[in-house]
Parts: sequence; structure tokens; C-alpha cells
Amino acid sequence: MPIFELGEVKIQVDEDGFMEEPEAWNDAVARALATTEGVAELSENHWKVIHYLRDYYAKFGIAPMIRKLCKESGFSLKEIYEMFPSGPAKGACKVAGLAKPTGCV
Amino acid sequence: MDRKKATDEERARAYAPTKKPDVINKQKLDVRYHVEDYDVSDRPRRFLEAFAVILRHSNYRFALEHFIRMSAKCARCAVQCQVYQASGDFRDIPCYRSELLLKIYRQHFTVGGMLKGRLLGKGFLTDEMIEEMADSFWNCTACRRCTMECPAGIDHALLTHLGRYILSEIGIAPRALVVSVREQLEGKSGNTSAIPIPALLDTLEFLEDDMREAKGVEIKFPIDVEGCDFVFFPAVSDFLMEADTLMGIAAVFAATGDSWTTGTGYFDGINYGLFYSDRMLERIVKKLHAEAERLKGKNILIGECGHASRSAKYFVPTYCGGKDALPVINIMEYTYRILNKGRLKLDQNIITETVAYHDPCNIARQGWIIDQPREILKSFCKNYVEMEPHGENNICCGGGGGTVSIDEIRPYRTTVAGKVKAEQIRASGCKYLVAPCANCKKQLRELVEDQKIDCEVVGLHDLIYKAIIFDKK
Repeated sequence: MPIFELGEVKIQVDEDGFMEEPEAWNDAVARALATTEGVAELSENHWKVIHYLRDYYAKFGIAPMIRKLCKESGFSLKEIYEMFPSGPAKGACKVAGLAKPTGCV
Repeated sequence: MDRKKATDEERARAYAPTKKPDVINKQKLDVRYHVEDYDVSDRPRRFLEAFAVILRHSNYRFALEHFIRMSAKCARCAVQCQVYQASGDFRDIPCYRSELLLKIYRQHFTVGGMLKGRLLGKGFLTDEMIEEMADSFWNCTACRRCTMECPAGIDHALLTHLGRYILSEIGIAPRALVVSVREQLEGKSGNTSAIPIPALLDTLEFLEDDMREAKGVEIKFPIDVEGCDFVFFPAVSDFLMEADTLMGIAAVFAATGDSWTTGTGYFDGINYGLFYSDRMLERIVKKLHAEAERLKGKNILIGECGHASRSAKYFVPTYCGGKDALPVINIMEYTYRILNKGRLKLDQNIITETVAYHDPCNIARQGWIIDQPREILKSFCKNYVEMEPHGENNICCGGGGGTVSIDEIRPYRTTVAGKVKAEQIRASGCKYLVAPCANCKKQLRELVEDQKIDCEVVGLHDLIYKAIIFDKK
């Protein structure tokens, strides 16, 4: 299993850099994972998206439908792509420490 | 058409292995997709054993016996293959790829081949041949366009499918597909995108709220209703990605009042078995049919998804009781039927942009669903344009055959496999590209993004949702 290390953070990830153990997630991990997604610094808006994803994940065990994410976080899909260049499923979910989405996602 | 070949730089990028060096080293298999750890010892023997078992328990031998006699390696298929057109690499010519497997069959499973092998002492299966197959069979998007051209009637996509099947039996299959299928068949959620039932219910409730706000009409997603006309199985990823497609379908049913339902026992139309393993194909098809039977439904209704439609349409009868199996229809067939009966009203002044229709290979190549969606679109889109070639002869989106789910080969899909499609889309000048297939949608969105084409990829029911008119009650 590959290990991702940056500064203090040391986590197990899969080949695509998604966390293997979403429970081990914390703010420092999010900041470290963000660097792999081309996000140098997490703004307040980034955190809003991340926390929404985390909360939904804690409740339902999966990421929300993208439309729901947009509507409830108040950002358009375009804005989310601007924040997380690889998009909501691959970018935002990765930084939020969710497992890699499977299937045709 | 004057087509530009991929540049050396593009080709190198597209074919570059994306695995980490330590993974390549460990698995001794330098291919471009991730595979799970598997036993790398003695692969040729295990490959041949798997091949022998499959031959024994299937009808492939009849096809192979025919193909080894007919194969002329004339390479007429090369003019049809969009991968070869873009890569210019002879190893991408369909009959070259088919020959990889046919020569193994000839050598190891025919009397002449076995004698020749003994006498000459060469031509036996090697590790290198397995590695070439592992690479080559997943360069193909299984669009089956080559089979239209082959004068000998060789089904190259069938051979690619068989090759992938045998490889998967010895552990060589893209991890992305294997993981999804495992979740679908053995996981807690029982579907490829791992959506638990509470999340599904939450999503459907959210969509109902959204439709109430947008349309001012109460539109429902019926859950677990027994005895419905249609039991609905979309590509399960639609519940995460395609809000508009699902709302469009729900709106159509709300307008007609026909009974339909989604079952919480199983609600996934996806069947990756079609791409790499008949064993999985059978198990998934049976799961689908069992859920429709549990709900005492009269028809299996597949959402906007090409491979889901094909795997259900052609394999539900095979595995679930022949003539006694439930009929399978695609949502576009249903919408077309009710539109013709005048039960669906669409506003003709909503969609004014240029609209083009992309045929998903899995429903168009055999001539099944070609005209229906076009008739639907032309009935309310003012500005419909056609891409050439289309229909039975359409060009693949570049992500067919399961390759779209393999994220690590995205550069390959968008620079080589989808290159011809990209040119086609650009030439059509469309603003809306309608692709009624979860697979095609994902690939085409990545394609237009990477190739910088200005158009929006949507489903057919996304547009219907925009234009639908409800009778005031």
C-alpha cells in the first residue's frame, strides 16, 4: 500500500492518492492532500465544500449527488471546478478524505 | 476526411504507464491500468488452463474454429478503427489484435497446431505474449465498428472480450472494474458506485424537492412499488452525477401517469461483466432480473446507458429463462412510444441551440436504437444537426468497453481513442451534445474539456426536462 507523506502528515493512500482510511482524516491531512490536487491554499470556500462533503459522508457513507453539493454549498459546478481543478468527485472528495468513487463516476 | 495523426509526444504521453515504478516492478507487468496484486508465477500455464476451461463451458469454440479458418489478416478493419486512425500504430489494427488470441488457440487447441508445435518446438505461449495481450486488449474500446467492415465476418470485439475474460481469470483486469463489480456482487451496498439505500432515498427526495421548485408540479420517484409496468435500472452513477437525466425521466412518467418504480433491493443497471468476464455478466444479469421479479414488475426498464441496455436486452433472455424472462426496454424506446401516441407534450421554443446526437455503440451498432432518439429530438429541437458518420456506423466516444472507468488512462482516452470523435464534434458545431449513456457522457465531458471544445454534453432526458409541458389540472 503506498504511503503519502508531507510534513507531519503520513497516511495510507491508493494508487490514485485517495485515502484508504477516511477516519484518519483531519484538517492537516486535507491541506496535505490539497497540494496533490494543485490547490496551494485552502480558502474559506474550500473548507465549506470540504465540511459539507465530510458531514454528508459521515451521515450516508457516500458523497452527495453533485447537484445537491452545488445547491447546498451554494457554489455552481463551475466554481467548484475552479476551486478543485479535477472536479467534485475526483478533486473535492479526495481532499475531503473520501474513498475513491467507483463505477462510471 | 483529412485526419491528423497523433504526434510522437501525444503518443508517448498517452501510452505512458501511470503505475508507480514499485508496483510495476512487483507485478512484472508494465501496463497502463492498475491491476490488483496477483500471482505472477507460471502465467502461461495458468492462462492456457483458464482458456481450456472457458472453451469447455461455453460456445466460444465454434466461433474460434470459424475465425481461424476465415482470418485473412487483410486489415480492412483498419479503416474503421478510430484508435488506429489516431495512433497510426499497426498494433492497433483490429485483426492484428485478434490474431494475438487466435494464434494461441491455433497453437494450443487444434490438432494441427499442437503437432506443428511439437515438431518445430516453437510458438508456445510466453510471458511476453501475455503482456502484449494485457496491453492490447484494453487499448480497444470494444465499439465493434470493425465488425461492420470485416469481409470474413470476424467479430474482433468478441475476441477482445474473450481475451479479456481469460486474462481476468488469471488476475489481469483493470482494478477500477474489478473493485466496482466486487462491490456490486459482494459488497454491502450491492451496486457499483457503493450507494447505500439511505443515500439513494435522500437523493431521490432531494430531486423531488428540486422538481417541485423548478416546475411547480409534484413529481415522484416511486420506491418499491409492486406490480408496476416498469422496474427502473439506471446506471447507478446517475444518482451521483446526472440529476437532470433522472428528473427528465421522472417528469416523463409524471406526464403519462404510467406506473414505474425503483427497487431498493437492487437499483443498478451497470454490468461491467460485459466488458471483461462472462461469469460476472451472468451473475449481474441474474441479480437484475431477480429484483424485477421480486417487485412483480412487467418490464425491465434501463435508463440512459448503452452497455447496461445491451447487457440486459441480450443476456436477460440468455440467463433468465429465455422466452419466460421479463422483456427489457430502454427508456428512449418508451419515451418515443408515448411521444408518438401524443401523450407527451414538449415546448418547441425552449431549445434553440444547435443539438447533435451521439450514438452509444452498444445500442446503435446492431441497429437497435438509432431513429427513436432522433425523432424525439427533432420533435422539439429547432436546430438539430447530424454528425457524420452516425447511426450504425457511428464513431465511438473513445471510452467504450469499460475503459472510461479507468481514470489512469484518461490521457489515452482523450488524445488517442477519442481523437476522431473530437474532430467530429468540433465539425458539427453543436452547443448541446446529446449522449444518452453514462459511459459516453463521462468520456465526452473529459474529451471536450481536454480537447477544448465548446459544447455541453447532456442526456436526452435532460433536454426533455427543460422542454416538458404539464397539463394544468
